[in-house]
Order: sequence, then C-alpha cells, then structure tokens
Amino acid sequence: MTDEKKKGLSSNQLKFIISGGLFLIAVVILIISATRGTAEFFMTIEELKLSEKDLQDQNLRVSGAVLGESIYFEPETGLLHFTIAHIPADEDLIKEEGELSKVLHQAVSNPDNPRISVVYEGAMPDMLRNESQAILTGQLNSEGVFVAEELLLKCPSKYEEALPDQAE
Amino acid sequence: MISSFGYLILALAFLLALYGLVILIYGLIQKIPAFIESARLALVLIFPLVTAGMAVMVFLLLNDRFDVAYVYSVSSREMPAYLKLTALWGGQEGSLLFWSWLLSGFSLVFASRKFREERDLFPWAMLVSFVLLIFFLGLNVFLATPFERFWHFSDGGRLLSVFQPQNVWLLTPRDGQGLNPLLRHPGMIWHPPALYLGFVGFVIPFGLAIATLVTKRRDGRWIELSRPWILTAWVFLSLGLVLGMRWAYDVLGWGGYWGWDPVEIAALMPWLSATALIHTALLQRKGNGYQRWNLSLIILTFSLVIFGTFITRSGVLSSVHTFAGSDIGPAMFIIMGIVSIGGLGLLIYRWRDFGSIQEIEFGFSRDVLTLFSNLVFLSILMVCFLGVIYPIFSDLLTGTQVTVGPAWYERITGPLFLLLLLLMGLCPLAAWGLTQINKLRHRLIILIPASLLVPLLSWLLGNVKSIYTLVALWWAGMASFVILWEYIRAVQRALKGSSNYILRALWQPLKRNRRRYGGLLVHFGVVLMSLGIIGLEGLQQETQVRLKRGESASIGAYQYTFEGVERFADTETATTQAVLTILDQGQPEGALYPSREVYANLGMAVTIPGVKSDLSLDHYAILVDWQPDLPDEATFRIFVNPLVNWLWIGSGVLTLGTIVAVLPKPRKINIK
Repeated sequence: MTDEKKKGLSSNQLKFIISGGLFLIAVVILIISATRGTAEFFMTIEELKLSEKDLQDQNLRVSGAVLGESIYFEPETGLLHFTIAHIPADEDLIKEEGELSKVLHQAVSNPDNPRISVVYEGAMPDMLRNESQAILTGQLNSEGVFVAEELLLKCPSKYEEALPDQAE
Repeated sequence: MISSFGYLILALAFLLALYGLVILIYGLIQKIPAFIESARLALVLIFPLVTAGMAVMVFLLLNDRFDVAYVYSVSSREMPAYLKLTALWGGQEGSLLFWSWLLSGFSLVFASRKFREERDLFPWAMLVSFVLLIFFLGLNVFLATPFERFWHFSDGGRLLSVFQPQNVWLLTPRDGQGLNPLLRHPGMIWHPPALYLGFVGFVIPFGLAIATLVTKRRDGRWIELSRPWILTAWVFLSLGLVLGMRWAYDVLGWGGYWGWDPVEIAALMPWLSATALIHTALLQRKGNGYQRWNLSLIILTFSLVIFGTFITRSGVLSSVHTFAGSDIGPAMFIIMGIVSIGGLGLLIYRWRDFGSIQEIEFGFSRDVLTLFSNLVFLSILMVCFLGVIYPIFSDLLTGTQVTVGPAWYERITGPLFLLLLLLMGLCPLAAWGLTQINKLRHRLIILIPASLLVPLLSWLLGNVKSIYTLVALWWAGMASFVILWEYIRAVQRALKGSSNYILRALWQPLKRNRRRYGGLLVHFGVVLMSLGIIGLEGLQQETQVRLKRGESASIGAYQYTFEGVERFADTETATTQAVLTILDQGQPEGALYPSREVYANLGMAVTIPGVKSDLSLDHYAILVDWQPDLPDEATFRIFVNPLVNWLWIGSGVLTLGTIVAVLPKPRKINIK
C-alpha cells in the first residue's frame, strides 16, 4: 500500500505479504474442497431424463412445475411425494414463451412434457400447490426418483395476474 | 384525482433535482457561490415534496383506494390499519418511493448542516445526492410509478394509467389482493425499512468520499464526518439482517434462520465491507494512513448497496424474493455502472494523491490484528460474491450450470467466522503499536484456562461432541471474558478516581471513552449472537414423528406428548392447532401449539411453529400433517434449539453499543 514498491520490499512488508498470502491460499483450498463436495449441477428435467444413469449420486438441482394432483403426504413414513414437469431453464426463454405463470401452466397441461417423481422428507411447504415452480436440490435414486434434500418454491407473482373485475 | 396529485408532486421533485444538478454543475464550473446555494435550497426542498407524495400514497392505502393498482396489489379491506400503512413498502413501486423518501431525507439532514471547514467538500457530496435522486425519482415517475390506476374501455379492454385517457372509465375493484400472509410478521414488516435505512445511509459517506477524491483533500476529514453516518447505516443494516433471520425462524418453519439465498447474500455483502471499513477507519484516525484503502471500501460498500437493490428489484436471480417481470432491471444496471465504475475510475485517477504515510510493523498489535480482520471480512465477501456468480460463470465455461447451496457457504465461511470470534478475543489484549507478549503473560495464564472451562463444561454437562462446536464455544468464551475484563478494569479505574459510587463507576467508561467501550459493547453483542448461531448450527436436535393422541416422542431428556387438536376460525382464516405438552425429566414444562392457518379467499396456508423459548433453549415444533378424517393422529417435526435467544438478545446489545459509540460527547455544563 505504499509507494516503496519501486525500491524493493522491506522485510516488514514481506512478512505482511507472506502471511496474507498464506491465509488467502487457505481460503482458496477451502473453496476448492467445498466445491468438490457440495456443488450441484443445474439441469432441466429433460436433460435429467436423457442421462439418468450417469447422474446417480451426483448432487443435482432441478426446477419444474408442480402437478397439483400428484401431491401426496404419506403419514406412515413422513414422506412427501409429488411430480414436477419440465420447464425451460433459461429465464430469457421463459420470457419468450410468455410470463412464468403461462409457462408453468403449459408445462402442467401438456402430457408429453417430461416429468419426474420427487420424494421429500419434511413438512409440506405452504406454497406447494398446482402450477407453482419447485426448485429442488438432491439426488436421483436407482429407480429414477428424485430424492430432494431442499425444496424451494416460487409462485408466479401476482403482478402477472389478470386485472381485477369491476366492482358492482 | 388525489393520486394524480401525488404523481405531479413527485414529478415536481424530479424536476427540482434536475434543476439542482444543472445549477450546481454550472456554479462549480463558473465558481459562483450563489448558484451553489441555490442548489442547496433545491436539495432542501425536495424532501417536503417527496414527503407529500408519500403522504398521498399513505392516504390512498389507508382509505382502501383499490382503483390505484399499487393499493390493489398490496392491501385489502380486512387488513388492520398498521398493516395498510406498512404495505407502503410491501411491493416494488412503493418500496422504491420509500427509497427516494429516505434518500431525500438524508440529503436534507446533510444539506441543512452548517459547513465551515468543509466548504470545498460539500458541493461535490451534494452532486452525488442529486444524481441518485434524479435516478430514483426518475424510476418513481417513469418506470415504476405507484400512482397508476385501472381503467376500462367500453368493450371491456383494460389499461393502466395515471391520468384518465380518452373514452375510458375508472375501474374500482371491490377489494385488494392483500399482503401475503407469510409476510404479516413484525420481523418481515420492519425488515425492509431497516435494510433500506442501512442501504441509503451509505449515500452521505459515499458522497463525501467522492468529494474527497475530487478535491484531493488529504486530512481524513471525510472519515470523521462520515463516522456517525457509517455507524448508523451499519446498525440499521445489522438490524435488517437480524429481523429477516427472526422472520425466517418464526415463520418459515425449517428450524433455521438463514438460507444463503442470493438475496440474503446481497444484503450481507455491503454489511461485510462496511464492517471492514469501520475497522480500518480506526487505523486512519490513528495515523492518517490507509486513505486509499478506506476510499476503496466505501466505494465498494456503496456499489454493493446498489447491487443489492438491483438483485432484489430486478429479478436477475431466481430467488424467493424477486419480483417477476420487472421493468426496472436495465435502469438499475445503469446506475450500478455509474456508481461503481465512476467511483472506481475516480479512485484510480487520484490514486497517487492518496498514498500512505503510515507504516505498521508486523507483530502482535491491534493494528495488525485489525488489518487481519479486514482480510477475513473481505474473504467472506469474496466467497459470497463467488457463490452468487458461480452459476453464471460455470455456464459460460463448461456449458453446464453448477450452483452452490447452503452447505457450500457454510463449509467455507464457518471457519472464517470462527476466526473472527478468535480475533475479537485477542484484539482488546493487544495495544496499538507492538505489544510484548511477556507483558500479557499474567493475563493469558488466567484467561486461557478460564475460557477453556466453557467447552469443558459443555462437553461434560451438555454432551457436546463436535470439535468444531467446542472450539467455537471456547473462542466465544474467551472473547466475552476478555471484553468483560477490559470493562471491569475500566470500572476499577473509575472507582479509584473521582467516582465513589458503584453505579456511577459502572457507567463511567461508557461515558468517558464512548468509542472504545461502545465498540467493546458491540463486540460483546456479536459474541452473544454467535452463541445463538453455535446453538442452531452445532447443537440443534430434531426428530420427525407421527403421534396418536396420548403418545409421546422424546429428544434427550425432553418428552413431548400429543394432547389433541383444536380448530377455530375467524372471518379470514381457519386454524388447526395441535397441543404438545413438554416434560423435562418428568417435570411439566408447559406446552407447544404448532398450527396451520388456511386463508380461504387467498387460497393459501401458513404453517406456524409452536415455540417455547427461554434463555437456555427453544422447544420448536411444526405441525407437518393432520387430516380431518383421522383427527387423533398428527405428524410433527420437533426441534430443540439451544441458545437461540442469545441471537436476538445479542442484536439488542449490538444496537446499544452502536448508540453509545455514535452519540456525541456530552458538553460539560458548569452549574454554580
């Protein structure tokens, strides 16, 4: 931080640089090891279906539209089951096809759309319902069921909804 | 009609800001003080105008004027008045209006001060205020106006407009959509304004830093002037973060408080750089060094503030917080570029003028530890930034999007936060300048064994096994011992001196040396907060069980018995509430009431955890599943969360400490 660099580094500055450097190397090592252990591959359901076998035990993150009728809570095991349908991953593509609520609606109504069953242990989230967007992290098991560890839900913003009806 | 009036007032404020900027620049170029004064008056006038605009919005909200699209989208008839009021920042347009209001308010406080020594800095800081006001008021007027109303054509077609177009009629919905029930929690109601106060509070320090760079003023006056602003903004930012945590803990019901969501991280990042700045500002005040460093940090902080606002308001990242289909993304991107590239460019241009004259010797000293803490804060910041951009980056490099989740952040930042805990314990021991370790020996002989008692006792009595948690408890113990020790020594000194009353002596250190003991109190608050975090991260126990009426589940020495379900309803909600009684080693400990509220007309359900909380731990239960056809059976998720309350108590202590540090020294008044 001084202008003395041109004259060469003093031993005092060297001590700062070495200790700071060692610390930063430790942080980088931490980052690399954490990335190896926990990074998740973001995939669409379509991609997931194509390479199902290679992806087992891999940390994955998928996003899809929730099918309302498929939601089922199994009291005996405490497991929550539901199915999600493919939606495009790209935000731009979603914009091209219309607003998020329309994309979710189409994804759910089209029976040819790739789908995947999900199982999750835990409370039924308040926003889990038909045509909400689920963002899941977890792994594929040997039967091709997605075992979710984390479940994030997004409902289309109310700003996109149609304008209100006229008051009487 | 009144909504058009509100709009016109905002438009007037916008024009006034434009006028102020032009006349200020002209005055600066031509060196005409009267023009600069005129700009100052314009800045003073903007605040009452924006206040009037906001008052119109509040009036519309309180009077259920659902013909206004914003009121329709965030309010509803059955909401209580205070919720209608706070719906002001419940949606995009309103919160941007609130932003502008805070910005104009801070500018007013700044512009109405007397500036004697800072005549040179002041106009440039004003210039920064004007640019930001033009931008945010511009958003309010052109891109995200809260005053648009619904209109319909005779054929049923509809449109949104502030003023009445031709051949259309006003459309007045019977009721609004109302505030999302998940957000109707005190934590979530006060979380946005606290964060915004924190965000906007950095405007003045940023403006002063820009002014310093332009005027090449090297005496560090900007940092002295900025200090109360930085600390105030910082404490609001801290409170905003804690309120968000509290909301997540009380409402989201996963037994956690922080999910490493991109939007949470976006608010954490300016907090980290501001915290780093507060620490190196101390170094600058000691020896007027680190000028470039501190200037860089304030530019970084303010860029991160704008980045945070951009992330929350533009929808670039998929997150629970984002507003979909936002139009203001590109505009926010532009102001982010102006702030960060402009600030950085100016800093580089003036780099040689702010060279350091202060040299710190390497060793065990408060200076070196402060620098090291800076490195840790900025490393955490770097990790956060990396995590946020990782998906975009990996997509570009490999074609597959790789994302990182909470586990990733926790693994990297855990050890770094732990290191900060250690530094908080070591720092008060070291003096400014080099400390001889020998001189500390007699204190370390007592402190180290005493602090080791904390993990030892938790291991023996609390059955804590994880080394990680034990180390965290040790360092938290050490930091609190050191801080208490420092305080007791100061009280002793006060007792030896003039003060004979214990109570007065207890207050004396905080009065005499506000900065030092206020700062220590803030650290003490942080250590207390860390206890809550250690409790949740390291000591939490949980179980998920299906229980019939009368059956019980146990965690450790606690037994939870399902006593049955009650159902009741009011106009808006139908509630199912379960009762779980708690036994602690056979002794009754009260009950938990986890519930589920269904908002029929909103088609939404909210799961509310049952919590029983005291200083040692929280019992926390969620009603996972209950069906009317099997009324005597239910599934619960039950948590024992040790020490959580200290997270909230600590944030109170932190606030108190900041107030002590910010308050100006009381002037001595001689009464004779």
